[in-house]
Amino acid sequence: MPAISLSINGRAYGPIEVREDLTMNDFLREVLGMTGTKFGCGAAQCLSCAVIVDHADGTSSTMPTCIVAATEFDKLKVRTVEGHAKNGELTPLQKSFVAHFAFQCGYCTPGFLNEAQVLLERLEKTPIARAELEATIVEALDGHLCRCSGYVKYHQAVRDVVLADAHRFLT
Amino acid sequence: MHLSRREFVTWVGASGIMLAMTRLPSAQAGRFDETQTLPGTAGPRPAHGSTRRIDAVAKVTGAKLYASDFRAADMDGWPPTTAHALLIRATDAAHVFAGLDLSALDAGAQPTKIVTAEDLARAGTRVPPFYAGDFLCPVGKTPLYLGQPVALLLFETFDAYDRARVLLRQTSPIKLGAETGPLAQPNYAALRFTRVAGDAPGAPDVYSPLMEGWISPGFLEAGGRPVWRPLPTPEGGQYKKGATYGEEIRAFITAKDPGTLVLDRSFRTQSVDPMFLEPECGLAWYDPKAKALQLVIGVQSPLGASEALGHLLGEAAPALRPERIETHFAHLGGGFGGRDHTPFPLYVALAAMFLPGRPIRLAHDRFQQFQGGIKRHAFEMRSQVAFDRATGRMRAFAADHILDGGGLANYSASVAAVSATSAIGIYDIPKVDVTTLAEHSRGVTAGSMRGYGVLQTTAALETLVDEAAEAIGLDPITLRRRNLLKAGGLTMTGNPWTVSVRTPEILDKLEDHALWRDRAQAQKAASAGTLVGTGLAVCAKDYGTGADCALGRVEVDPTGRIRIFRDAVEMGNGIGTAVANRVAQFLGRMADEVSVARIDAFEALGLVTSGDPYAITQEEQDTASRNPRWVPAVSSPTSASIGAHVGTQAAAEAARIILRFGMWPAALALWGIDQNDPRHFLWDEAFWQDGMLILSGLPPLAQEEVAAKAHAMGALTGAMAHAFSRWAWAQAAFPLDGLEWAADIDALAVRRGERPFKVLDRSFIAFPPATYNRIGTSFTSSCGTLVRVEVDKASGAVRVTRAYSVLECGQVLSPHVVLGQTQGGFAHGCRLRASGELAAIRGRSGQRALEPRRLCGRARLRSADPRLGG
Repeated sequence: MPAISLSINGRAYGPIEVREDLTMNDFLREVLGMTGTKFGCGAAQCLSCAVIVDHADGTSSTMPTCIVAATEFDKLKVRTVEGHAKNGELTPLQKSFVAHFAFQCGYCTPGFLNEAQVLLERLEKTPIARAELEATIVEALDGHLCRCSGYVKYHQAVRDVVLADAHRFLT
Repeated sequence: MHLSRREFVTWVGASGIMLAMTRLPSAQAGRFDETQTLPGTAGPRPAHGSTRRIDAVAKVTGAKLYASDFRAADMDGWPPTTAHALLIRATDAAHVFAGLDLSALDAGAQPTKIVTAEDLARAGTRVPPFYAGDFLCPVGKTPLYLGQPVALLLFETFDAYDRARVLLRQTSPIKLGAETGPLAQPNYAALRFTRVAGDAPGAPDVYSPLMEGWISPGFLEAGGRPVWRPLPTPEGGQYKKGATYGEEIRAFITAKDPGTLVLDRSFRTQSVDPMFLEPECGLAWYDPKAKALQLVIGVQSPLGASEALGHLLGEAAPALRPERIETHFAHLGGGFGGRDHTPFPLYVALAAMFLPGRPIRLAHDRFQQFQGGIKRHAFEMRSQVAFDRATGRMRAFAADHILDGGGLANYSASVAAVSATSAIGIYDIPKVDVTTLAEHSRGVTAGSMRGYGVLQTTAALETLVDEAAEAIGLDPITLRRRNLLKAGGLTMTGNPWTVSVRTPEILDKLEDHALWRDRAQAQKAASAGTLVGTGLAVCAKDYGTGADCALGRVEVDPTGRIRIFRDAVEMGNGIGTAVANRVAQFLGRMADEVSVARIDAFEALGLVTSGDPYAITQEEQDTASRNPRWVPAVSSPTSASIGAHVGTQAAAEAARIILRFGMWPAALALWGIDQNDPRHFLWDEAFWQDGMLILSGLPPLAQEEVAAKAHAMGALTGAMAHAFSRWAWAQAAFPLDGLEWAADIDALAVRRGERPFKVLDRSFIAFPPATYNRIGTSFTSSCGTLVRVEVDKASGAVRVTRAYSVLECGQVLSPHVVLGQTQGGFAHGCRLRASGELAAIRGRSGQRALEPRRLCGRARLRSADPRLGG
């Protein structure tokens, strides 16, 4: 069996032997016991399983874990929902999700949180005009399924984080 | 089954099994009971509006909350490793099941044990009465339905399980025998609801279900469907009377009166998966030494699940019969009805019993959830409605519903009744005749799901109303307004709605909105390649089932901290937040702790129950209620949208009692007001503001100070109550501090200071009459929505460009939650239309052929504008 080594939320894991067809989702949940990353559709359609991957060029993106083999994450730097808050202090995005009642059952929240965090970090590096903000958020969050609350509150929560620190995210 | 809360913890019933139910602690951060708290004193006061969800921080930090998050290593005292179970489900229900062929599995993917129907028979397990049919299809029988489990495979390791799961999806292990065709089974229910109003407004009904009871035909055709006509035989009795009126209504509709517009349309809806994001799963461990079975599950019906587990194993062989079953309930990653009385936990228990000593997990993947999870009923409907062409008034309505209940008995009979009794929506129609039939089929089991049948019938009705408006030449809002059921008017079962009826205001708001006013202009302004249209619909959705109850326990400590226990389950609907808001109205601050799914916290009430609350006779109820501990039902599933109205009632009344007999006497003492002072009795004029108790002319008192005094005085500092609603509250009186305290509860226990809770005998009790079981819908909420759509002529692509929705939601306990539910409802409506089908079958149009269980599309809500009514 191949062995993988990777960083999750800044902590090094591995080398750990895994089956070639073991999904990253099962690696996180069954091997490491990190169940913050959810299993939803098993077809990369709901994206509740999405995690953040930090690339070598300094950019980040989300990746589904339910259909992607753990071996694909070998040598990568990964962030999950468990890694956002530091020392018990929620990030502005987490606080905004809470303040807006963005979720109900909350099962989709890790995916939305990761996606929105990637967006914020992208906007910080490449600010956009205020007029582009709504469409940019819609585009970024598109693909994430929420079966309870209807998306609007997630959208508003992200928008408010941007507007609360406009000089950081907007041109 | 006679079961009480006290019995539930310490009870050893006929099965000899002790049942216990607990709230699941979090594995990451101490007991979840301690972590799912509100902001408390540091947070906003109730007078200042909303606060956070009780579970918000846990959900944004990835804490272990859901049943799917727990493994054996997370559970105190359990062996550390987790085995895994896999259900093999039938993929053919027209051939005999001839056994399993697991040759596709290599050595590393072989199960440790295979559990079959024969094993269950030898073990002496029993299928709970709610379900009907084999839990595992025996070899030699045709599966009852597609997706029926045929075997349970148990694996020692995750890798073996995971590989087998994938391999067996690629190569079915099911061996088929002779072709039999689908199995025929009896119908789940056949009911007829007929009402003939009196000749004049306000005159008594000529015939109604409320007057005569619900009726069901007694004869079947050769194909198994009911004979709906009254037969020319002496038999038929009650049914014959109602059916005769029903046939007269149908004759009236088809009489070809030129002054009457008759629409006769057929509709069909498909089976739909609830698609809650967390597939069903559970963890269990049977400790054979202790003869104790423990489970971790996430369901909407904790009491029902525990009862079913007790029944399943109650008469099993000694080696497979636990002496104690302890069930831990976790948060739900969505429920939407699909986790209400799901049989899934029973398979979790079976997995553990057949691999004793090993914690084992049974978890659906999405494929398996689609295969076996409870579905929304597919409907076939024929609707006939007669309008007076001159006035636009609806004169008569008739419909025939056929529901596909799938293969295993569940809530089909109930859904059939609810959908039928809601079939006339928001309208006042003097002659109504609806037949409804829930059939067995080889389809996947259908049960409770969002809308509970009303979604199907309302969509059909509103389509007819729009068509009628066009045919008669009336504005769609005008036509609706002329036909609205007004306050005090009677529904099709002959009872009024007992809640506010605000559909006229909803129509006013829709009519006044620019989206509606400017619809013609928008149509004209459409580009050459685009069609633009604006439509509306108004629905009324019932809440409650007619036998709903709630348990609530509230405690105030000497520092003013508030702790609430509830029996309901949190599945995202904010039930804990809502109850905290109601309690805060009486006790001056948001709860510091809200603990849900805690049936175990109400032992002091010593409740007992008997009979079926939906079918009990008045005599039976009167006799039973002589026992001061008797209630019609102990605990309800978290379903039927009862979370706010029923779900918060017991805790709110408990809080009111603490205010009256604990905080108020303490405040009087602090103010120095004695019993001769007229202000002594003004407790209900006092109010809380910013954590201070205020009575005009007196210095405000801090909540903490009042609580400390109450404890110091030995005054009342805790109360637990039970509330029951059968379209009206059970009302009781209890002796308290020399008074007879009357309230909308039927059981009460109180504590003074830090002493234990003590149950109080009720001195008076009035349960709602048993005849209220004839009511179809009494509690209802209405919603109206405008939608503008653009259709690209070339591609047929439909885009919702704007929408406006008005919801009558009564007293809002948690505005953010209600708004989220409204937005979610709108999104689901769009998805249903986009990925579902609800089309009139008129020969030329037919219905859209869409994937029956397609994942709902991703919504892009750009400009939805849901508004709340107050």
